[in-house]
Amino acid sequence: MFDGLQLLGEGIAHFLTPLSLLNVAWATLLGIVIGALPGLTATMGVALLVTLTYKMAPDQAILVLMCVYVGAIYGGSRTAILLAIPGTPASAATTLDGHPLALQGKAGMAMGLATTSSALGTIIGIVFLALLAPLLGEAALRFGTYEFFWLALFGVLISGQLTSLDDPLKGYIAGILGLLVAMVGMETLHAHVRFTFGITALAGGVDLIPAMVGAFGLAEILAVMKRTAQAEIASSSDRVIPRLADLWRYRVTTIRSGIIGTIVGIIPGVGEDIGAWASYAAARRGSKERHLFGKGSQEGLIAAETGNSAVIPGAMIPTLTLALPGSAAAAVLIAAMFIHGIRPGPLLMTENPTFLYQIVAILLLSTIAITLFGLSLTRPLLLVLQVPRERLMAVVYVLCVVGSFAITQRMFDVYVMLFFGVVGFILREMKYPMAPLVLGIILGDLLDLNLRRGLLLTQGDPTPFFTRPISMVLWVIILASILMAIPAVNKRVRRLFNTRKASSPDAG
Amino acid sequence: MTENDQPAAPVVPHTGEDGQSARMVRADLIAAVFLILLGAMILYGSWTMPRLEQRHVHPLTVPGLVPGLLSLALIVCGAVLALRSVRSATGGGWQEFWASLNSQGSWRVLAVLALVLVYTLGLVGSLPFWAATALFVFAFVAIFELWITPKPRPMLPSLAWSLGLAVVTSAAVTYVFERLFLVRLP
Repeated sequence: MFDGLQLLGEGIAHFLTPLSLLNVAWATLLGIVIGALPGLTATMGVALLVTLTYKMAPDQAILVLMCVYVGAIYGGSRTAILLAIPGTPASAATTLDGHPLALQGKAGMAMGLATTSSALGTIIGIVFLALLAPLLGEAALRFGTYEFFWLALFGVLISGQLTSLDDPLKGYIAGILGLLVAMVGMETLHAHVRFTFGITALAGGVDLIPAMVGAFGLAEILAVMKRTAQAEIASSSDRVIPRLADLWRYRVTTIRSGIIGTIVGIIPGVGEDIGAWASYAAARRGSKERHLFGKGSQEGLIAAETGNSAVIPGAMIPTLTLALPGSAAAAVLIAAMFIHGIRPGPLLMTENPTFLYQIVAILLLSTIAITLFGLSLTRPLLLVLQVPRERLMAVVYVLCVVGSFAITQRMFDVYVMLFFGVVGFILREMKYPMAPLVLGIILGDLLDLNLRRGLLLTQGDPTPFFTRPISMVLWVIILASILMAIPAVNKRVRRLFNTRKASSPDAG
Repeated sequence: MTENDQPAAPVVPHTGEDGQSARMVRADLIAAVFLILLGAMILYGSWTMPRLEQRHVHPLTVPGLVPGLLSLALIVCGAVLALRSVRSATGGGWQEFWASLNSQGSWRVLAVLALVLVYTLGLVGSLPFWAATALFVFAFVAIFELWITPKPRPMLPSLAWSLGLAVVTSAAVTYVFERLFLVRLP
């Protein structure tokens, strides 16, 4: 415990240098601008900045990427409140109450509450990150080949299911497609080259960064340019700095939303948007002012903004301890960490114990930065919202090309970006979620290697996959979640529970 | 997360309820056929992949194992999607599907794609990067502000903006990446 506190102190002290603080300031501000601009998402911002930070020292590069991530998730709320368009998918729930508040002339108050809620949400998540990550890291040391196979499958499936709640089948398909993409290139067990069709550039597999820049950059550009409608900016003239009494009144909602957001963050590949929706739904169920939800409820706004921000530290828990990305942006962070020679996973806590606390320190610093910028820079940020998307998107595409080219310096990666952009756009138009696809690309190798290595160790006997305790828990959850996704099974199970619930008061 | 009953499913604001779904049912059928074909091709590729017998590789650890299993899963999912689409199909789905492909939005997407493809596959590589970029940005902004738009902007200011943005972007990107970050550009 005290070791942890000491390491945390060292982590914070590590970044209290002028250079680091300067990086925190510009990166967080850039993140807020990226988040506020519709069509630029957190994942895309982080993916594009991997290139810019390529030549930086590892700790500063990760600092910049994390700050952009935190800033962008917060920045989306600005657009949601003033334009009724979520700046990033994470603030879709914020529009429901944020924009009505703005129309009632309370735009300043809404922006202020969004700022403090985002900050509080991140802090709640940070507490859990600092407490849970070391424990999970220790438990992960006991994971073997069999467990990692199930974990990879679990990650892709659960992400497929939860990012596509009304149609899990499409989530599964996206996940399988991602896993299949990971099959391209040389496999690690026998060094056999698969599905390259004679293209030598494919022998190393499909790189994640160009694929992400395509799926989240070009696909987003196409989606934004498809729309013809333009939104109006709501005016704001009231006080921005929230009253402490308001914050205290909704303390239960804040804490509950923070915890829900953190849990959603921990679930692999389920990101900020789901965190916001889940805590919004929970807040509405438990609220005394339920009738106000959707018409400008402060509580709804607080729940959505606390929920999405708490996902960020939550997502870092599996990302750091298991190398299982907790959100789409965390997947890019994993790729960036590998580029900078940091290996997330069970060994991180033994190889590089200070790193976890450096992440905690970065999150704390960026939280301070979003609070300061959010409460002070209301007018300059309004200018950002007035940038016409035609002009913005042209420049963004140039950055997509440079961003996918720069890391390995080959045009092939630009073609990969183009391919994933077009395919990603088509999939998105047909309501396939992107997160499971990305998770599949990252986890495919882990799944493939561990399944066959396990079978090699046992000479073809699959029983350890099913009988080892942690494995058993994982496959039972996987089986149950697939079964529950089948409508016929789901209906029967529900009916079973309902009749039992209905009959139990009489029986008892 | 799964303990709650149905209302936990968020109140996601879906765009255009019924028209969307009738058309989506048709789009799903096309996607399903494509997924099944893709799955079958991968299955064939995995089955015929070398089994490395001469290296005495255990038959359950051959390179084709996991891609084969995944392609089977893809075929199953595709079949379920196809079945669901056929069962829930309502009249008028095809018309709506084709109509949605012929909408203004689709033409805008095609225009973006054309610009992007000409820039990436044609201009980059045959022209210096700064020239290709300036040309792309100018064309993109001018086309979407003056031509493919419901509300064209005034001609001269818009052309000036396109030109200015093209020059600034091209200069800034070249300077920042080649001089500051020492990255070679395409």
